[in-house]
Amino acid sequence: MTAPSSLTTRPTIEGRKGSRRRRPANRGPARWILSAPLLVFLALFVAFPIVYGVQSALTSKTLLDPTPTWVGLGNFGAVLTDAGFWHSALFTLLYTVVVTGFELAFGFGLALLFDKDFPGKKFLLSAVILPIMIAPALMGIMFRLLLNSNIGLLPGFLHSIGVDVPLLGAGTVVPMLMGLDVLQWTPFTFLLFHAALQSVPGELHEAAQLDRANYPRFVVSILIPLMVPTIFIAGFLRAIDAFRTFDTINVLTSGGPGDNTTTLSIYIYKILSAGNFGTASAAALIVALIMLPLVPVVVRRITRGAV
Amino acid sequence: MTRKSLPRHATVASIAIVAVGIALSGCGASGSSSTNANGVTNLKMIMEPGPEADSMSKLVDAFNSGQGAKDKIHVEIDQLSRTDTFAKEAALMSTQSSDYDIYRTTSYLVAQHAPYLEPLTLNGDNYFKAPVESLQVDGKQYGIPLDPSVHLLYYRTDLIDQMLKDAPTYEKISQDVLGKKLEPKSPDQWTWDDYIASAAYFTKKYNPNSPTPYGTQLQAKNLLYNAMVWDDVLWGLGGNWLNSAGQPDLTSTAAQNAVNVYRTVYTKGLTAADSDQAEFPETEAALGSGNAAFAVQWNAGYAQLNDASKSPKTAGKIGIAPVPGGKTHVHALSLGVNKYGKHTSQAQEFIKYLDDPATMGSYVGDGGIASMPKALSTKTDPNTAALNKALSGGSFSEPALPKAFDVYTALANDLSAAWVGQGDVSSALAKANADVAKLAGK
Repeated sequence: MTAPSSLTTRPTIEGRKGSRRRRPANRGPARWILSAPLLVFLALFVAFPIVYGVQSALTSKTLLDPTPTWVGLGNFGAVLTDAGFWHSALFTLLYTVVVTGFELAFGFGLALLFDKDFPGKKFLLSAVILPIMIAPALMGIMFRLLLNSNIGLLPGFLHSIGVDVPLLGAGTVVPMLMGLDVLQWTPFTFLLFHAALQSVPGELHEAAQLDRANYPRFVVSILIPLMVPTIFIAGFLRAIDAFRTFDTINVLTSGGPGDNTTTLSIYIYKILSAGNFGTASAAALIVALIMLPLVPVVVRRITRGAV
Repeated sequence: MTRKSLPRHATVASIAIVAVGIALSGCGASGSSSTNANGVTNLKMIMEPGPEADSMSKLVDAFNSGQGAKDKIHVEIDQLSRTDTFAKEAALMSTQSSDYDIYRTTSYLVAQHAPYLEPLTLNGDNYFKAPVESLQVDGKQYGIPLDPSVHLLYYRTDLIDQMLKDAPTYEKISQDVLGKKLEPKSPDQWTWDDYIASAAYFTKKYNPNSPTPYGTQLQAKNLLYNAMVWDDVLWGLGGNWLNSAGQPDLTSTAAQNAVNVYRTVYTKGLTAADSDQAEFPETEAALGSGNAAFAVQWNAGYAQLNDASKSPKTAGKIGIAPVPGGKTHVHALSLGVNKYGKHTSQAQEFIKYLDDPATMGSYVGDGGIASMPKALSTKTDPNTAALNKALSGGSFSEPALPKAFDVYTALANDLSAAWVGQGDVSSALAKANADVAKLAGK
């Protein structure tokens, strides 16, 4: 017995084309009306700032000289020839790579741990995700107190067990900042991995057990390949966020000593604070251009996964 | 009859216009300055939240119910954010906004703000010289000096007494750390060498009997306010940003020595290793916790250190001396009249009300700090007396360059690594010198 043709046959191209042809006649105004809020939002909050930003970047406008003067690509040249820009770009890149790597590894590890049942799991789950509830600027202020060698809880505890390490000293500040980012954002990757692990069919565990695969082998050969799309998305989101890190570092170090911990966001903020609007806009656009090539790669990856 | 519908484009355009209208309706400035039906002009003034705004609020209340009521002027303070007031003002100024009649300004920003402010006529004789001069640009006064800030050396009197009686240990330590034998001196006679030797005396690493782990606390974070503190060392050793010919002078011997003072204190471990991230609050913590015997600190730091409920270890034991080398940076918080405001003459009237020793006396009584000797002398506590003394002599204001704010930022950026032993001192100073040359247009 064969199934009815209406159930098995996909609509013909002609049929789909035909239906597309009919829609504009009937739904054109509705489509515009329904899209209007989004279009207005995009025009106000995306298109206008970009156009204004480009215009600012091509002009010299400061508090001292508020009349915009056309300087062409002069602001871009000033940023690109500034050693401070390249130093902050390199630091930002290093910071992004290191923290994203650790956050993916720790997040995945935690997700594997929470995939098992153990006493107090629900309580610990709440405790683990707590850091992402805290605003990054507040996190900076909290750790400015916690890590202070005079009154901080952590140096006090370490001192009591005979360990005297300057946690925010010139030699330790970079790893400490990275550690704080990992502490705050590992819960984010953990949540993504935790959700993804819930969708792994239980049959795979059973099949692996039947094939006598031990747990590490199961993780490496089955779970990780299945998690690649999630790893990609989590990595992308964290990398984007880490690349524009500002709050915590600015509160703790203001980018110093020197420009040792200056991220690109802090670099731009300092130019803006000095009232050099044109140069700040140019720097912001350059950073946007650095990030832009990543977008099609990610969109392609996401849409491929969705189809 | 056929039904006539709007053309599609018109529909879309109408919706878009309505949506944009709704969106923009929330973007207007709220409650800008105005004149009401009774002819009373409402002036709007910007301040940052904090003790200065609290004191000014009391003064404004007195004005509104007295002089202001007579002159039909009512002043309203809008408190923005403690940290971002100047950034928000920059946005208002750049658009030549008339939303506010009186802007907050300060010595290190006045040159940048001057194009947006009206010149003021003050009775300069009523003021300390340095604060009033620090608010002048090209010979014109753009801000009325209020709340001056200087640096003072705060020290533990009980510990210094102990040091003064222990000359042999002090001499040995100074020989070890500085390569020369120094005698212990009272803090009001210190040079920067005495400061370093005393810091070493109170550091456990050099003196196991020291009651404190570190002698002092540096404020070495990459922060423009910390560049102001370092300027004390530079000026105290005879340096300046610019030489007598007006050219950048940060490659001078004085500048080298000034960086080396910080570098020695940090690299010899006379201050906590996280001093590289320290500013005002960390210095308060170091002194208040008993971890440091003395430090150069902003004059606003005294109240907390002498408050038994907040600093039981130091309250009643804090001595005050001038900064070693005898030179302290001074700047004043200030108010200026918005050139693009709608009520500039009324705003000038309010400034005139402030430009009076009696008014400033009330301000001091309400917890503010005046830049007028007569008003300041109404308070006789040791900290105000030390402030009065510093403002009367020994204080300096850096050159009022249009980009002074940028110069401070550049100095902190270029030198803060060298202060804590990273990189080469000469290279850092050469970079700072080049930046000052660029910013000063030399």
